[in-house]
Amino acid sequence: MSSQAEVSTKRPIMTQTEPVAKKTAAKKAVAVKAKAVSEVKAVKPSAKKKSGQAFPFTAIVGQEEMKLSLILNIIDSRIGGVLVMGHRGTGKSTTVRALAEVLPFIERVAGDTYNRTVEQYLEGEEGKKGGKAIDPATLKVEQIPVPVVDLPLGATEDRVCGTIDIEQALTSGVKAFEPGLLAQANRGFLYIDEVNLLDDHLVDVLLDVAASGKNVVEREGISIRHPARFVLVGSGNPEEGELRPQLLDRFGLHARIITILDIEKRVAIVKLRREFDDDPDAFMRKFNREQQKLQKKIQTAKDLLSQVTMTDEVLTDIARLCMNLGIDGHRGELTITRTAHAHAAYKGETVVTMQHVKEIAGLCLRHRLRKDPLETLDAGEKIDRELAKILGEAEAV
Amino acid sequence: MIAFTDIVGMDLAKQALMLLAVDSELCGVVIPSAVGSGKSTLARAFADILPESTPFVELPLNVTEDRLIGGVDLEATLATGLRVVQHGVLSKAHGGVLYVDSLSLLDSSAVSHVMDAMSRGEVLVEREGLSEVHPAKFMLVGTYDPSDGEVRMGLLDRIGIIVPFTAQNDYRARKKIVKMVLGTRDAEDTRDELNMLAGFINAAKEQLPHVSITDEQIRALIQTAISLGVEGNRVDIFTVRAAIASAALAQRSDVDEEDMKQAIKLVLIPRATRMPEREAESNEAPPQEEMPPEEPEAEDEEAPSDTPDAEAEEEQKETPDMIEELMMEAIEMELPDNILNISLASKKKATTGSRGEALNNKRGRFVRSQPGEMRSGKVALIPTLISAAPWQETRRRDSKMAGRPKTALLITKDDVKIKRFRDKSGTLFIFMVDASGSMALNRMRQAKGAVASLLQSAYVHRDQVALISFRGKQAQVLLPPSQSVDRAKRELDVLPTGGGTPLASALYLGWETAKQARTKGITQVMFVLITDGRGNIGLQATFDPTAEKATKEELEKEVEALSLSIQADGVAAIVIDTQMNYLSRGEAPKLAQKLGGRYFYLPNAKAEQIVEAALSF
Repeated sequence: MSSQAEVSTKRPIMTQTEPVAKKTAAKKAVAVKAKAVSEVKAVKPSAKKKSGQAFPFTAIVGQEEMKLSLILNIIDSRIGGVLVMGHRGTGKSTTVRALAEVLPFIERVAGDTYNRTVEQYLEGEEGKKGGKAIDPATLKVEQIPVPVVDLPLGATEDRVCGTIDIEQALTSGVKAFEPGLLAQANRGFLYIDEVNLLDDHLVDVLLDVAASGKNVVEREGISIRHPARFVLVGSGNPEEGELRPQLLDRFGLHARIITILDIEKRVAIVKLRREFDDDPDAFMRKFNREQQKLQKKIQTAKDLLSQVTMTDEVLTDIARLCMNLGIDGHRGELTITRTAHAHAAYKGETVVTMQHVKEIAGLCLRHRLRKDPLETLDAGEKIDRELAKILGEAEAV
Repeated sequence: MIAFTDIVGMDLAKQALMLLAVDSELCGVVIPSAVGSGKSTLARAFADILPESTPFVELPLNVTEDRLIGGVDLEATLATGLRVVQHGVLSKAHGGVLYVDSLSLLDSSAVSHVMDAMSRGEVLVEREGLSEVHPAKFMLVGTYDPSDGEVRMGLLDRIGIIVPFTAQNDYRARKKIVKMVLGTRDAEDTRDELNMLAGFINAAKEQLPHVSITDEQIRALIQTAISLGVEGNRVDIFTVRAAIASAALAQRSDVDEEDMKQAIKLVLIPRATRMPEREAESNEAPPQEEMPPEEPEAEDEEAPSDTPDAEAEEEQKETPDMIEELMMEAIEMELPDNILNISLASKKKATTGSRGEALNNKRGRFVRSQPGEMRSGKVALIPTLISAAPWQETRRRDSKMAGRPKTALLITKDDVKIKRFRDKSGTLFIFMVDASGSMALNRMRQAKGAVASLLQSAYVHRDQVALISFRGKQAQVLLPPSQSVDRAKRELDVLPTGGGTPLASALYLGWETAKQARTKGITQVMFVLITDGRGNIGLQATFDPTAEKATKEELEKEVEALSLSIQADGVAAIVIDTQMNYLSRGEAPKLAQKLGGRYFYLPNAKAEQIVEAALSF
């Protein structure tokens, strides 16, 4: 056993963000902490790093629906994430993992584990019990790529929400909070592969946090409350199990993915994959320009988003569509409106038209239709039918 | 231990393992085979043909989540004061082989973790305060007996090679196997043979990067995958890799027909969901010729510019024939006529995700721990200690300040972790839908409606459903026990009707399904029979088409005997009568009585009533 065991080390600890619960402990901590850190350094560099390279996003053939939904979520993170369901072996997780490379940058307080902006940082740190006023001028900021955090099925609750830093507690008796995956995912993407197989108690945690945008951890004198707003991305194969309705409802968009039947596309996929496997670096270089182009296009759309407008007519049509489809609540309208804005921005346009709406309505509404056990019509067809009716009416007027 | 070269028979399985030894990117080999065929001996002997220090890790079926993924090593952590990590089985197999015997019996959460590791090539450990990535790129070798149930399709999709399942009947080969087991072979011969084989495989590995495959060949393989109805695109990559590895084994630098046949046989056929139709295929002109290439940038560099268009077109036209020949030859070699008999995809597909087996605090298999009240379940001692350990220092201090007596260990309510067990709970509903000619069309619709409502409730209650239809000569499992309402609905939607009523066959098949579910831990089974109860095809006819038509008495006897056995076996039942009132001779109520179940007359029954009856038993 001992040959397999390995002393693990953590990422360097950021002193300024570390909420230390008890003042008595905090004083003592400073001295011990220095010691702990030097010990850590002596052992081994961080074990947490991505091994291997991700297949580039722009080299993925087909599956436009999924790619578009992901991109729209980057442009406007309030769309509410995307659920990708479909056949096995169609590149679901490859695509999501490729996303990281085309994401834009965000600004955060340097080294902040929660990826907070200066305002959020000040609010969080000053509002804390015993928190002192911080001069914003003393804070350094840095640019980081939008974080993509992978939540594996076997994750335990303490790692998802954060818990006490075991090492510090063991070596110095200091109760320091060690942020979890939800903290890392703040202002970024949280990805769950095989989301339909996720354990119920983790689903509960996610639903809770997704609704409030905050993660709250209370334990033995540690009381942490930190922002946890993320774009939830899930993928899975419906044949392996159903998704809990409450969780399904959380996703802004629902992309479906099926086996590509076009032979030429499939030949292209095989050849690209082989090329990548042979020499990943050369392959990445080859797609470098495409990748940068897409990244820039997304950033441009993000910047354009605030200027995109929508007429009342279009808004009325959207409301009518949702009403005719019998969709409960207003999440449907809201999602369509936001998504259509992002879609227009992605196309470089500043006015949302019904054409934009048409292209994304299926994505927004597919999972919101009421379940009718006797209904044989596919959800997508139903949406298209209602949409055609409305568009027909709109044209006639 | 028997060496790889000493094992007799199972040639396809051996070839499969050799291909994997040459190209580990094929990700694995699955060998379905009956008990006693020597499959696990062969799988263990696989280590013989791999480089010496390659890890070979066997995954025990009862593995817990922390052993599989890895976690905190409590002992070492307490001793050193630093967090010490214990690697899991998945990461121990890194760079080598992960072997699972009885793969189809592996618990579904373990299957999910294996799948996840295979798709990442690493394991994410986000547990008990740990956040690490451990490399876990391994080849999965799995063996199983199909009578134990099937392996989840999601897992099979990540494994390159599936050896077609054929029963081994050659008794001469078996005799040789026996001899081998008795150790009549010369050890020196064995060593020489092994060395030769190892050299052979090494040479193939060196040859591998020099093997080329033409676009036409890739296209032909993909066309075959499509015509066999194979799901997903990942399998294309495996097929191409298998063909190349096969060429490398033969020390060739080009893929030839034999290689393609081998790839079709070992990668595609076991995943077939339909038999390719000869006519339909040759009529089908490849429509993609007119299409502009999707990936101009990629294509430009790849496409040989010197090929004239006319020639390319001609080649394209030839493709369907070529594929057909290849495929037929591959099928004909040593496999049965109907490839669907050996295809796993067409049989009982994926069982379930986690829904079918709920986590609970009381019974089943211990998989993980979770914070909880001490009284709400069994306390998981080690995780509780892990959770309490870091606090000892501060608690001791606080305790001393408060003047409490000194204790060795301070554990508070917050530390307590309780065990979570995975138990295949819930009820399995086996729907048996009479699709014979006597079911008038509108009855069928009503029946489908009732079934659909039941399916919805079954989902809410986390139960499983299976669907059996009976018409013509015999009953057929349309959907094996599953949690997927969508699939059940889809199967129902396309359910054809017409023909005789093989009621006995349906009961028999339902009973078999129930028994199999029991081995997987499902305790409660309920039959929901939707029929007019007028069976007119006997069991005999199901197995022997030339058998004489059974008399009415015989039919009744069969059904009665079966029903009583099923009742005695503890299977609950409801019978939903679809017969028109004026035609009824009371067959369905009789059937319900024999099964000891409840009876509903469909035209009167509301879907809700049926649901309630089914759920309240």
